[in-house]
Amino acid sequence: MGFGQFLAAPEIKLKIVTYRDVFQNAAQESSRFGEEYEKLSAIIKLDPRDISRLSITENDTVIVKNSYGRVVVTAQRSGYEDAHPGIAYMVNSPWSNALVPDKTSGTGVPKFKDFEATAQSSKGGKVTGIREIF
Amino acid sequence: MSRKYYVCTGCALLCDDIEVETDNDVVTTVHAACRKGVARMKGCSNPMECTVGGEKADIDSAISMAATILRDAKNPLIFGHGNSSSEAQKKSIGLAKKIGAYIDDTSSFCQGPIIEAILQDKLKTCTLDDIRHKADVIIFWGADPSNSHPRHLSRYSYFPRGQERQRGWEEDRTAITIDIRRSETADICGDTRFYQIPMGGDAEFMEALVSALSNKVPKTSFDFDKKRILELGNVLKKAKFGVICVGLGLVYSLEQLEPLFTLMNKLNEVSSFHLMPMVGQYNMRGFNQNLFVETGYINRLKFNAETGETEHGNNYSVVEVLRDMSVDAALIIGSDPLSSLPLSIARYLAEIPLITIDPCNNLTATRSTVTIPCALGGVESGGTAVRMDGVEIELKKIIETNNPSDEEILTRITEAM
Repeated sequence: MGFGQFLAAPEIKLKIVTYRDVFQNAAQESSRFGEEYEKLSAIIKLDPRDISRLSITENDTVIVKNSYGRVVVTAQRSGYEDAHPGIAYMVNSPWSNALVPDKTSGTGVPKFKDFEATAQSSKGGKVTGIREIF
Repeated sequence: MSRKYYVCTGCALLCDDIEVETDNDVVTTVHAACRKGVARMKGCSNPMECTVGGEKADIDSAISMAATILRDAKNPLIFGHGNSSSEAQKKSIGLAKKIGAYIDDTSSFCQGPIIEAILQDKLKTCTLDDIRHKADVIIFWGADPSNSHPRHLSRYSYFPRGQERQRGWEEDRTAITIDIRRSETADICGDTRFYQIPMGGDAEFMEALVSALSNKVPKTSFDFDKKRILELGNVLKKAKFGVICVGLGLVYSLEQLEPLFTLMNKLNEVSSFHLMPMVGQYNMRGFNQNLFVETGYINRLKFNAETGETEHGNNYSVVEVLRDMSVDAALIIGSDPLSSLPLSIARYLAEIPLITIDPCNNLTATRSTVTIPCALGGVESGGTAVRMDGVEIELKKIIETNNPSDEEILTRITEAM
């Protein structure tokens, strides 16, 4: 265990946008409980500057949470040319849905594609398994 | 020898040019389908088992227990339907009517408002075949078909040589993406045809576009390049057959549909524009149409068992009835709401007696009192389904299975009530 284990990990605020991914979708068709589905679902895509602010490197795991839920997912660079600090992308999945607010203003439609959460390093924590989300 | 073509039920494009190879009632090879379609047609690796109370059971016991749960419930919910044949959906509507249930589907929190407006003739639409043969300007707005509907561009909207579009994408078609992120579809459209707007900026961008189409200066609070909006307006004005493919990004961004109605009206003053809802599940539109024919509503209903009358509105949506804890049992057909709903809402669903009918194991099934495996639609059972454009498509059975179809299961549950 390194000295870093005793330091508080920096926490950043993020706006999260969800998207669809055909590879993840195909993995879902094969098995919602498969490794491939978890690998392609339990991820968050970040701006490189946010990765630095979190004091992590790509493919480290991060805790993403808000008052609706908490998941540990793998952090990846978004790969977008344009900078997007403070905005992160998650593929539509039970992991992203764990964080979607239930507030609808009476419309019956939650904000699946636009919600806020915080992220911080999980310090080597394991990705939340699909059965552990509940 | 004539070739046999089947329909892919991977999404609401319902591609009908699929060839398969089978061995011993297993689909071994799928030709022409996309990655998602191949995975769907080959079937899942973890099929659902027939269970009651977590223990393996025979189908008769499972149906009997399902009927008991629904009979004992004061306010049952029937939900799912997007991955069911129209025949099964009609049985489900009949069952809801008989037991006085809430009934809803996934359109309730996705494309529902757009489908409703189309069925009420508030939005001009067309078929996918019209797009293939005629469309010259195609806008993907909050939609990324390269991921959600992988053959949309190759079969219909961009690459094909249609009857009136013989020069295809190179000369005859202009594809435009309006989105908050640079999607794979935006990459295909190219830098000059990608309009990146801020989150929640869709309604304002629509207003600016209406200004540009009205020869006024287009203004946005996010200071989008006016020249680019004017240039886009000119492209849209010259369209002979334009289409806006509406994705969930746009649906979720609009608080109400007025800006879209205004834009479509303006576009049809200056050129000819159609709207295509980018429906996800293969027969979601079928459910909307079937319920609309029966009740005049596309979703979000509660039947009165004695009078057959319906109550309808936002308060009857699956999200609101679960948040209000108004339901005390649920029958889930071809859907996994514990995966697709916000966790804080899904938690309540996991606490009430659940019955799941599906070919594959899923999160909802793991919390269900009764699970009944059904045949995979379009592979192990036939029927009809409605494509995203409203065209009815016949599904053919490819292989045999011991599992009954969802239609058969619903018939048996209804009879057992």
